[in-house]
Amino acid sequence: MKKIIFFTLILLLLSISVSAQTVELTFWNGFTGPDREYVEGIVNKFNEEHQDIEVKMEIMPWDSFFQKLLPSLAVGQGPDIAGMGREHLSRFADAGVIAHIDDFYNDYLAKENLPPSLYEAMRWEDKVYAAPMTLATAGFYYNKELFAEAGLGEEPPENWDQLFEYARKLTKDTTGDGKIDQYGFIFPIKGYLEAWSIVIWGNNGRVLEDGEIKINEAKAVETIKRLTDAMKEDKISPFVINGVEGDQLFASGKAAMYFNGPWAYPQFENAGIDFGVAAAPENPAGESVNWAGGTAMVLNKNSLDKKEAAYKFFEYWNSKESQIYFSINTGSPPTRTDIPEAEFSQKAVINTFSEISEKSRFPLNKEPEFSTIISDVIHPALERILYDEATAQESLDQAAEELEKFIE
Amino acid sequence: MQLLKKIKNSYKLRRKLMAYLFILPSLTIFILFILYPIVYSFIMSFYDWNILSTEASYIGLDNYNNMLNDSRFWNALKNTFYFSFGFVPIGIIISLILALFVNRKIKGKNIFRTIYFLPVIAPMSIIAIIWTFLLNPDIGMISYYFSLIGLENTAWLRDPDLAMPAVIMVSIWKEMGFNMVVFLAGLQSIDESYYEAARIDGATKLEQFFYVTLPLLKSTTAFVVIMTVIKSLQVFDQVYVMTGGGPLFSTETLVQYIYKLGFVNFNMGYGSTVAYALFILLLFVTIIQLRYFKGEE
Amino acid sequence: MKLTNSLIYIFLFIIAVVTLFPFIWMFFTSFKVEADILAYPPSLIPRTFSLRSYLEIWNSIPFFRLFVNTVIFSVGVTFISVILDSMAAYAFARIDFPFKNILFIIVLVTLMIPFQVILIPLFKLLYELNWLNTYLGLIVPRASSAFGIFLLRQFFVKIPYALEDAARIDGCSEFTIFRKIIMPLSKPALATIAIFHFMYNWNDFLWPMVITNSMSMRTLPVGLALFRGEHVIEYGMLTAGAVLALLPIILVYLYAQKYFVQGIALTGLKG
Repeated sequence: MKKIIFFTLILLLLSISVSAQTVELTFWNGFTGPDREYVEGIVNKFNEEHQDIEVKMEIMPWDSFFQKLLPSLAVGQGPDIAGMGREHLSRFADAGVIAHIDDFYNDYLAKENLPPSLYEAMRWEDKVYAAPMTLATAGFYYNKELFAEAGLGEEPPENWDQLFEYARKLTKDTTGDGKIDQYGFIFPIKGYLEAWSIVIWGNNGRVLEDGEIKINEAKAVETIKRLTDAMKEDKISPFVINGVEGDQLFASGKAAMYFNGPWAYPQFENAGIDFGVAAAPENPAGESVNWAGGTAMVLNKNSLDKKEAAYKFFEYWNSKESQIYFSINTGSPPTRTDIPEAEFSQKAVINTFSEISEKSRFPLNKEPEFSTIISDVIHPALERILYDEATAQESLDQAAEELEKFIE
Repeated sequence: MQLLKKIKNSYKLRRKLMAYLFILPSLTIFILFILYPIVYSFIMSFYDWNILSTEASYIGLDNYNNMLNDSRFWNALKNTFYFSFGFVPIGIIISLILALFVNRKIKGKNIFRTIYFLPVIAPMSIIAIIWTFLLNPDIGMISYYFSLIGLENTAWLRDPDLAMPAVIMVSIWKEMGFNMVVFLAGLQSIDESYYEAARIDGATKLEQFFYVTLPLLKSTTAFVVIMTVIKSLQVFDQVYVMTGGGPLFSTETLVQYIYKLGFVNFNMGYGSTVAYALFILLLFVTIIQLRYFKGEE
Repeated sequence: MKLTNSLIYIFLFIIAVVTLFPFIWMFFTSFKVEADILAYPPSLIPRTFSLRSYLEIWNSIPFFRLFVNTVIFSVGVTFISVILDSMAAYAFARIDFPFKNILFIIVLVTLMIPFQVILIPLFKLLYELNWLNTYLGLIVPRASSAFGIFLLRQFFVKIPYALEDAARIDGCSEFTIFRKIIMPLSKPALATIAIFHFMYNWNDFLWPMVITNSMSMRTLPVGLALFRGEHVIEYGMLTAGAVLALLPIILVYLYAQKYFVQGIALTGLKG
């Protein structure tokens, strides 16, 4: 009996001392949908391998993520670490709610292992505020079967002139009822990546450059006009659709060309579509400029005492092993450059996305008001043109004027 | 005599005290969890309040001045009225008709009642996803069925002129079952003897409806109308999921705009200001309706 | 007469089809494989019947735990709220007291500010009370509603005073009159409001999402939202989850429905 009591006491003491050492790290992010399983996979494995740290993760849709995060931060709470779109970094850094983590790159993860543009994206002003979570880039998806039907061969268009030429050929009314049932090049606006920036880059245009507004300069206007004319007159894309509807069109074989991220890949594959992924067509200067996005992990300023645990997790997330696991399962390119391509031999598209990401750029640089600019300036500008409320020049002039108040 | 009056007075006083006691629990909850936050956000409407920063600076009436010059605010106000004028009358009339019909002694009325109530109990987030999918003119089920019988389906949600009617239709579809049940409960509490009396006087079915049912349904109708107006002026979920306020802001309602100001732009001070404009509107409209129905009672 | 009845049937039937269609689609979609859902031309009936979504949902989210929480939350709110609402409604409907009209407007005022605006101060308050991530914090702020008070008031005013006066002469207390006379006579209205509270909280997403901090406290709608990705919606799982989440409310509704049909036998009161 005494023995039992003795052992129980020892066990109790042990468990207390163990739990006292365990750092609990709350982690919020918005990886709902098919990616969730693999985010959970990495976190569970991390928890198994680290007895002294427990990452408690909460996943929620991105819109509710902000509705939960903002009140929590208002009372000085909130998660210890969070994953969020990299476009939010500057805004959260300016507000002083996230910690800068320059020492993470000194002590845990050498920046040389990251694609330079990705490391650059984690910076704001002269400090680094985040560790990479995912690297997203847009591929040019094209439906090979529809290409063959239209006699266009196996290869994607080389430049933007050819893209629009193909788009017209691939837009069809197959049933003859006067209604388009196959679209050449679909271009959603809301709930979608910033594909308008790819279109503008595709003509060597810019939206913003070195603090100057260039969205209403000739190159940008010209290419936006070409796109919207083709949508209105040649009906190469329905408007105004959102990203989910765009995916549905491509997945049902009713769209021939489409920009989208790696996340769309499994869905199209499951739908049995015969398609290819390539980099964006070249602009007149012979460059293919692609869209980059992705998410970053940040540390709450109130959680600096858990910094070490957080860094260990950031490091683990970006380890070769985790990145290979996440890439293979989700199709996202890895956040590291030092993983041999052979690792992905059974899933070649990951290497394609990695190559594309080397030729990619973030839209709107790092404007703190990114989301507001997109929803209040850019989207309305495109819609005004599509609904004939204004010409391309007028609409983009107005957008430039509205942009002024964000750029100071 | 004196004593009797005293007893009566003390009894009346006791009833009054009882009334406060009956209201107290609800009122406590409201004051703490709703009215206090309302006052808080009212104060914040005089501040330049970015939710991310811990400090907010007092800017007096600036937010209110901005609002008056904000074309998006006026557009949202207009859209909110548009929604309300479509949704309230049509929705209530359909609910009343359904309630009258399923209140008759017909076969299968319980099945009909259950079917009409289904949309009410389904979460709007999922319903809106399903409708958006069904209404999709390219791959949606409805457009496919239409094409089979040679009809063309309209791109409802992509047309600035048709998006709001589509949102109104889905909202009516979603809500009609609830008001139907409220009406049904009201109809159930009308004593059959009134109808007997009317029949003896030779009233037709239609006359019975206008001279018996409607007057006796007055307090129910008051509730339904006032609540539906309040609900309609705060429409958000269906707009948020189905159109996100677009295309070209044609479905952006006040609450959609408030949400956007607060949680996308992080400008909660101004968001509160717009919320107060909505509040004043609702208060005004509700008091007028209460007066009207009281006069009628 | 026959003709009117058949016309009514046709009308009811058409509305029923329109009402049901999205649910039929949802039901069949939950048995489809993902590729079939997006296929064109679409097919209402699954091309291959698959139980995959129903089997996987148990591994994918802690369905049972979420289910239990949803029951605790919505039953808790419904139970307390029906009692508190009807008490307040009784006072507003049947007693004259000073400031009654003002107080009633104050009650209605609680419905007039969008939730998004009071979210932050409300959250701060719950934080200071240390009620975040607790059932208390989930339930108490919801435990009375202007909606319920208003609805019940409208029903209570209609109940004749005869019985109440008789009871009062017999020396019954205010509370006894409320409990023994008014409540039993208002079953259809009470059932209506109970159904309303139950389904509103059963389906609510934002409130439990913001107030709770761990999966073990979460409710079903919050769990189902996990199938709604930013770019990709998992239709199979989402619809299967929605079907499973709908069943309990349908059962509650069917149960409550018998009180709607019951009506009130007021005839006996007249004499």
